[in-house]
Amino acid sequence: MTNTQLVNTVTPVIQCIRTHRTNTWWDEHLTEDNASFLKKVVTEEYKQQTTDKLNPLKDEPWPRHEWVEGSRRVGLVAVKLGMMPVWTKSGERHVVTMLQVQDCHVVKHLSKEEYEGHTAALIVGGKNVSPFHRPEGYLEVFRNAGVPPKQKLTTFCVSDNAIIKPGTPLYAAHFRPGQYVDVTAKTIGKGFQGVMKRWGFKGQPASHGQTKTHRRPGSLGPGGDPAKVFKGKKMPGRMGNIYDTTHGLKVWRVNTKYNILYVNGSVPGHRNCLVKVRDSILPTRLENNKNPPFPTFFADGDEEIPEDLYDQDMFQFGEPMAE
Amino acid sequence: MAAACTSRTRQMMGLLRILRNFSQNERLLSTSVLRHNVASDGPPKFTPPSKPVIIDKTQKEASLRRFLSPEFIPPRQRTNPVKFSIERKDMIQRRKVLNIPEFYAGSILAVTMTDPHVNGNMNRFIGICIQRSGKGLGATFILRNVVDGQGVEICYELYSPRMRKIEVLKLEKRLDDNLMYLRDALPEYSTFNFDMQPVHYEITGDVPVNLLKVKMRPKPWSKRWERPKFNIKGIHFDLCLTPEMMEHAQKWAEPWRPYDMLKEYDTSSLEEHIFKEVQENLRK
Repeated sequence: MTNTQLVNTVTPVIQCIRTHRTNTWWDEHLTEDNASFLKKVVTEEYKQQTTDKLNPLKDEPWPRHEWVEGSRRVGLVAVKLGMMPVWTKSGERHVVTMLQVQDCHVVKHLSKEEYEGHTAALIVGGKNVSPFHRPEGYLEVFRNAGVPPKQKLTTFCVSDNAIIKPGTPLYAAHFRPGQYVDVTAKTIGKGFQGVMKRWGFKGQPASHGQTKTHRRPGSLGPGGDPAKVFKGKKMPGRMGNIYDTTHGLKVWRVNTKYNILYVNGSVPGHRNCLVKVRDSILPTRLENNKNPPFPTFFADGDEEIPEDLYDQDMFQFGEPMAE
Repeated sequence: MAAACTSRTRQMMGLLRILRNFSQNERLLSTSVLRHNVASDGPPKFTPPSKPVIIDKTQKEASLRRFLSPEFIPPRQRTNPVKFSIERKDMIQRRKVLNIPEFYAGSILAVTMTDPHVNGNMNRFIGICIQRSGKGLGATFILRNVVDGQGVEICYELYSPRMRKIEVLKLEKRLDDNLMYLRDALPEYSTFNFDMQPVHYEITGDVPVNLLKVKMRPKPWSKRWERPKFNIKGIHFDLCLTPEMMEHAQKWAEPWRPYDMLKEYDTSSLEEHIFKEVQENLRK
């Protein structure tokens, strides 16, 4: 595969310049044996790294503080699994979304000065991903933290008493049933959409003489006085595939074995997409978020947590029927 | 005549002699056997009486057929199988508390639910199951009955905490999986008495199929049931539609559908796996 360069002769015609292609894919120049060996080595390395982080003696964990009113703690990165129904003890039916926390680690700590001058920040990474298709700069951050590379990185603004050492794993037990949570994710992309779907315009009637006008935006604004269309006018365009947040979702149940959060209602994003979960900022829900596991839930073995944590009002399926 | 008498008497005598000999021989045989035992073992071995077999008639026997409820089979989607396995755990936990029997579309069920607005708190409804839909915990079934001349359909959720008892009064299958056409059939096909007693059904062997073809009310119907997309075999079309109308309905036939490879969903291996899992966990 030799890339030839056209010799520049003195002609006024537009030249086509072929550049040297410098990047190759990771196993282009490797034999099959080498490639399979690398894959094996990488998975073993990941396992080693995760088990290292679970053991607090090898690390020197940063000091843990108590929860104070007004302190902000980290959130999690989770995978949206799907939805299922849930019943209260009185028989009311609600729907919940299941969010699974897969390999969530704190990757970097940015102090107040580094971040913005007001609050410190913690960068948290989500699902594990192979290092072969990522650029070097991206992988460097993870190497410094001693953690396998992640698919999604998010920043959480955090108060100073809630900082965590990079490399600590985060679990679903960080949130408890009865707490309220905000979930941010990229919405499902709908492509180029018309004004009725995108902005909820009413359109025009289907009959009674309408000529070729049923889903159009109609008028674009007032007439001759401004003599222009204002900036931000709602018009057709690309819809979806943007970050959106749903606020104030109640956590009904937490499964500590598989690290799954059962969160009320629906959440933006498609199935198996990565979402950012954090404590709710709604002022009416601050009461419910008191005394959480602070700065996070550590699985050292201090407290024995049952496999499933349920909210008070929730109907548990193994309950015997009351007569 | 005298000769016949004598021959008969001779025969009788012969028989008597044989009988006497036989009885003597028997006695000889029996005594010899006893003596034989006494000689070899000592006192005869004590065989305890067989244990009494307790037949519990209060609970219905569980079906011995290999039946997996359709809501356990996950739909063909790009979801993580972890989600389905966790939902299945919840479903099995609920099934340990509430017995959900085997039933199909076309069986007659009696369902008892808690209802805060009723005096005795319980609400019992009997009807024919016309549809079973939904997967996982949100599985539902619709029961239809005609009460005081008014057709009533109630959609129940199998795993709702308000369900108290589900009894199968008559277990049978029909020619179709979806009996929504009973809404347009004559009301006699949907009426069932509320005092109906359970009909005995076999717990082994095949489920009986009712080959009933239903007579319909005059058209218009709520849906065009003669069209091939519904694929209904349980309606007696000859009595309500002319052959021309049947041919006209065939215009909406889609003969390529059975060959559509993207719609193929082979659940046999999944079913076996899930069936084993469910049986194991229910026994725990």
